Formats: sequence, C-alpha cells, structure tokens
Amino acid sequence: MAAAIEIGGLAKNFVNDAGPPVLGAVDLTIAENEFVVLLGRSGCGKTTLLNIVAGLEQPSAGIVRVDGAPVTGPGAGKGMVFQQGALFPWLTARRNIEFAAVNRGVASEAAGKLADELLALVGLAGSEHKFPFELSGGMQQRVAIARALALDPKILLMDEPFGALDEITRNEMQDELLRVWAQRRKTVVFVTHSIWEGLILADRVLVMAPRPGRFVLERRIDLPRPRRRSDPTLVALYDEIWTCLRGEP
Amino acid sequence: MKFAERFAGLIGVVLFLGLWEIAARFGWRNPAIMPAPSQAVWMALATIPPLTLIEHVAISLWRILAGFALGASAGVALGIAAGWYRPVALISRPFVEILRPIPPLAWIPIAIVWFGLGEPSKIFVIFLGTFFPVFTSATRGMASIHPSILRAARTMDVDGVRLLAKVAVPAAMPDIATGLRIGFGLGFGVLVAAELIAAGRGMGHLVMEARQLGQLGISVFGIFLIGLVNLVADQQLAAAIRRTVGRWHRF
Amino acid sequence: MRSRLAEWLVPIGALALFLALWEFAAAAGWLRPIQFPPPSKLARTAVTLAFDGFPEGITLWVHAGITIQRILAGHILAVALAVPLGLLTGSRPLLDQMTAPIVAFCRSVATLSLLPLAIVWFGTGEGAKIFLIGYGCFWVMFSSSIAAVKLVDPVLIRAARTMDADEKTIFRQVILPASLPRLLSGARVALGVGFMVIVGAEMIGTIRGLGSLIMEARTFYRTDITMVGMLCIGAFGLCVMFALARIEAWLVPWQAKQEAQQQ
Repeated sequence: MAAAIEIGGLAKNFVNDAGPPVLGAVDLTIAENEFVVLLGRSGCGKTTLLNIVAGLEQPSAGIVRVDGAPVTGPGAGKGMVFQQGALFPWLTARRNIEFAAVNRGVASEAAGKLADELLALVGLAGSEHKFPFELSGGMQQRVAIARALALDPKILLMDEPFGALDEITRNEMQDELLRVWAQRRKTVVFVTHSIWEGLILADRVLVMAPRPGRFVLERRIDLPRPRRRSDPTLVALYDEIWTCLRGEP
Repeated sequence: MKFAERFAGLIGVVLFLGLWEIAARFGWRNPAIMPAPSQAVWMALATIPPLTLIEHVAISLWRILAGFALGASAGVALGIAAGWYRPVALISRPFVEILRPIPPLAWIPIAIVWFGLGEPSKIFVIFLGTFFPVFTSATRGMASIHPSILRAARTMDVDGVRLLAKVAVPAAMPDIATGLRIGFGLGFGVLVAAELIAAGRGMGHLVMEARQLGQLGISVFGIFLIGLVNLVADQQLAAAIRRTVGRWHRF
Repeated sequence: MRSRLAEWLVPIGALALFLALWEFAAAAGWLRPIQFPPPSKLARTAVTLAFDGFPEGITLWVHAGITIQRILAGHILAVALAVPLGLLTGSRPLLDQMTAPIVAFCRSVATLSLLPLAIVWFGTGEGAKIFLIGYGCFWVMFSSSIAAVKLVDPVLIRAARTMDADEKTIFRQVILPASLPRLLSGARVALGVGFMVIVGAEMIGTIRGLGSLIMEARTFYRTDITMVGMLCIGAFGLCVMFALARIEAWLVPWQAKQEAQQQ
C-alpha cells in the first residue's frame, strides 16, 4: 500500500518556535485508506498534530507529506471535521455543503446536486433547508462530515468530532461514520480521548503522551467491522491502553 | 515588531495628537475655529486659575458620585427585590416599563420644576440615569441564576433571606457589576449635559461658558478634561469590580 | 390560571391606584399643579398636543418627525462611516492596538460636551445636531464593529481555510456574516445613544423637536406638556427599538436562537 501521509521528525513549540515543546519529534506513516486514531489526554498534542497535517498550523521542525507532496497550507484535498461542527450558522445544511464544493471550483448547479447526494449519504435527506440551530448535535456533525466529503478529499481529518455528543448519539455516529467510510473510502486521521471510540473505529490506534507530545503505544486492530465491545481482543486492548494512559502523570 | 506591539497604543495617541496639531497650525490656522491641542492646554492654563479648575472638576465629581451612589444603591436594592419577590416585580413593572424608555436627559426640565436650579435637580437626573440600567441588570441577573445553584443550596437547608443574601445575590453579582459600569457611564453623560444646560459650575459649564466667551481652546481643554476624568473613573470602577467579583467571574 | 390573571391584574391595579391617588391628591390641593399636574390634565394636554400643538401650530407629530429625522441622519452617517472603518481596524491587530486608547477616550467624552465645537463648526442649525448624534453613534458603532470582527469564532475561519477558501472569500462569506449579529446589535445601541443625545441637543437653541418641546414648556410653566412630551419620547423610543429588534430577529434568525439557548 502506498503511503497517504508521511510525517517525519515533526516538532512544534509554542510561542515563536522557542517556547515549551508541544510536540516532540514525531514520525508516522499512514497508508492509503487507513483509519488511524490518535488517542490521549487533553493537552497531549494530538490536536496540534492534526492541525499541522491539515496545514492550519506550521511545524517548528520536520515535514508532513500528503501523497508525496509537502503540506504548505490548508485545503487541497484535506477535509476536516471539527469538534463543534464549525458549520456556518447563517447557511442551511445544503448551503454549508455547497460552500465547500463551490470553493473547489464545482459549478453551482453541480454543487447543489452533490450536496443533496451527500446529505442523503449521511442520512439527512429532507433536512436540506434547515439551519444548523434547527438540527440536533448529532445531525450537525452529519452535516459537517458531508461538508468535508464535498471537498472530495483524499484524507479526512477529524478532531474529536463526537466529543460533544451524548454516548448514545455518539455510538450511533460511530456506526454512521463507518457506514459512510465503507462507501467513500478515505484515509482517516481521527483524534479522540475515548478509548472505546478508538477501538471501535480504528485500523490502528496510536496512544499519545504529553510534554512533549509523542507516541507511547501503537496497536493494530485487524478485527472486522462492526465490532462488539464484548470482543475479548478489544477488552484486552482496552485494559492495555488504559494502563498506559493511567501511567502518565 | 515587538516594540511596535508594545507601544502601539502610545504611538497611536502621539500620532493622533501630532496630526491634529499640524492640521490646526498649518491647515486651519485659526484657533477660534480649530485650536491645536497645545494651544488649548496653554490657553486654559493661562486663563483659568488652577484653583478654579480644581473646583470645576471637584463639583462635577461630587455630583456624579452623589447621584451614582443614590442611583446604584436604589437600583441594586429594588432590582434584587423585584428579582426575588414576585409582588415587588408585579407592582414595580408598570412604572419601570413606562419610565425606563425615557432618556435621562429628558428629565432635566421636570427636575428643574421639581427641585429648582440647584444641586438636587442635577443629582436627581444623574440618579435616574444610573438607576434604570442598574435596576435592569440586577433583575436580569436575578432571573438568570441557574436554578441548580438555588436547588443545591436548598438541599443544604439554606432558605429564605439567607438563600437570598448568601446565594442569589452573589450569583447575580456579575450582572449587577456590569450594570454598575453602564450606569456610571450613562450618569456621567447626563452630568455633563445637565451642567451644559443649567449650571454655574462644573466641567460641562466650563466648556459651555468658554464658547460664549469665544475661547474655543478652553472648550477643547474642558472636553479633554471630561474624557480623562470619565476614563479614569470608569477604570477605577472596573478595577474595583475586578478585585471583588472578578476573583470568581471572568468578565 | 390564577397566577396568569394576577400577572396582568396586579400591575394594572398598581398603576390605576397610583394614578387615582395622584388625581385625588391634586384635587384636594396637596400637590401643586405646577409641579404635579393631575393625570386628567395630562390626558387633555396629550389631545391638545396631538391636534393643536405647542408652541402654536407645531403638533406632537411634527416635533417627533423632526427629532426622528435628525436621529436617522446622524445615525446613518455614523454607521456608514463606522462599519467599514471598524471592520478594517478589527481585522488588523496593530491598527486595533494603535487606535484602542483613542477609541476609549473618545467614547469617554460625553457627547454633549462637544456642543460648543459643533456650534462653531456647523452653526446652530441642523448641522450641529446631526454632528452630535453622529459623534455619539460613531464611537459606539466603531467599537462594536471592531469587536464584531475580533469575536468571530476562529474555528469558522479555520473551517473555511480547510475548504480552500481564499482571503477574499473568507472575508465576504465568513467574517462578514459571522459579525452581522454584533453589527446589528451595535447599530441598535448606537440608535439609543442617538436618542439620548438628541434630547439634550434640542434643549439648546431650537423650538422644534421633542427635546425642545419639553424644555420650552418648562419656561412657560406648562409642566403638563413637559410630562406628556417625556412620555411620548419614551413611547417613540420604545417603538423604534421594538421595530429594530424585530428586524434583527428576521435578519439573523440563528442568533436569536443561540441567545435563547444560552439563557
């Protein structure tokens, strides 16, 4: 498999690249269509890592390549879903998605069709003309996912996208994401602080520790999806990851 | 860049005053229409004895402090009462709803009718200017207390007046503090207006009298003085709020 | 049901009782009519003002129309200047830092203290009044516009960046709509300031406008007219504010909902 994302010697210090290290020298290679979950406490640098891959923040040292080309800025085939959805509150669900499509040069008519198609994909057909405030938290995140997909990205970066949802909705959204992912294969980098979320979703889980942010545990999960939480392999993995996380100060 | 960021405010002020100075001296060249800042200050200091100047400021400060103290305490007390006791809210509502939309300056004529041209009429108008915003924020603060805070207190057997004094009022304090600042700002504007329209002393009077004497520089100086006194007073109030309510609430 | 009824009955009853006591006290001679003309007199005065006017021939509606014209002229001028300048200043941190103390100072200057300058520059006519209203509105609107840009949720801008939006698109399609709610509420606050300033400005050297109506009436010992005029100013102000709030809710429906959720 070809490498979709290559991260080499990536480091980030806050305050003019000379402050305390947020991210140590980090190396990571992610294969095409792989689902990678970054797991760790708040402040371990996982969101910073994701933002650097997205091109929203500049690294202090090191390099990120997406499809072999160094990342110079945001956009260009990198879709992102934020924790609070970050939908534009003044646009309807459909127009939010069209915004993404139009910006990458899709004609407005085609953008409308694409939006309808994606809304149907995430199970929101019929809610096209609702504003974000008229949608529940779970539905807002569905729109956010559809909006990221409208960029037709090679990679999908997700920053705790279900972190603000209640557990029932959250579990539903995980199933939804896997269903969508099965239809639209993408390379996914997914940041979370829920161990179970990582285990249910990932091909590979990377556990991070803070100061400086680094990987302390890496586990590949080759179980078929959908996965059951009672699966003994997952239960054992949960214990292992929890022990690793708890050991951190 | 670092330097520029640090002193940006100062540079801005110097630039502003400098441009004004140049424009007035070389553009208009007529201090009777557009005095330069330096001309204004020099003219005022040369014409008005320092003691008189201090007296103008002092009388204005006394008026605003008296009016603000009265208006703020009445606004806080009534606002809390209306936010806590339903009958108070219901009885005060029609009067507040009718009187609140009237701009405080519109009270100046009636204040003169009721209290004459002396100090009480000015203090009364400042009182009104302060009272309504403080009252409004106090009732809003009381209404927006999170119910779970009151419920939590009740589970700890706190009730009645104790619940009001120890839980509800502190919970409403951030809103009340904001209201105090708004009330002070409004009260200050009212003070100057009242002094312009009907007063023999005070900073507002200084500004108006100078115009009648054709000394626009002194008017400009008076305007500087008004802005400065208001700014300093407001910052003192803000600092006092930060030291008290600010310890547990981020504004 | 009972409490719903009390919600209406108690306030109306309190007001009625107050007016009745006032009327009675005036009739009994306990209140001087020059200081507290009875409510019945106020009602008659209101009718006279609406149809005959004061001073002779200038009805309440003419006064109100002139006042509203002045406010609108100053307000629209101020908004037209302040919004673009504020948006520019808010999006340039250095410019914002440089102007911050000047803005704070100019806001602290009580608007009416500029009256002498206004008269020298614009004469005693409409120009001076519009200038004063404009000054009061401008600084409120300017600082609201700066705040509106600075308080745009950065995650929205970052989201737009991940969608390949260029700076122009971000400004026009993200920053502008995202700051619209604060711009509108700033415009509403500015209008309130305009109302406050005009009443003071009209008390000096004019006989038309609501502010001059109540001041003129005082010099003729017509306290009844002063009182009615004050109530009218309040009522007009309330109507304008109410209309603006409705326009706001219509223009930015998402904001109204957000505020409701926060409460």
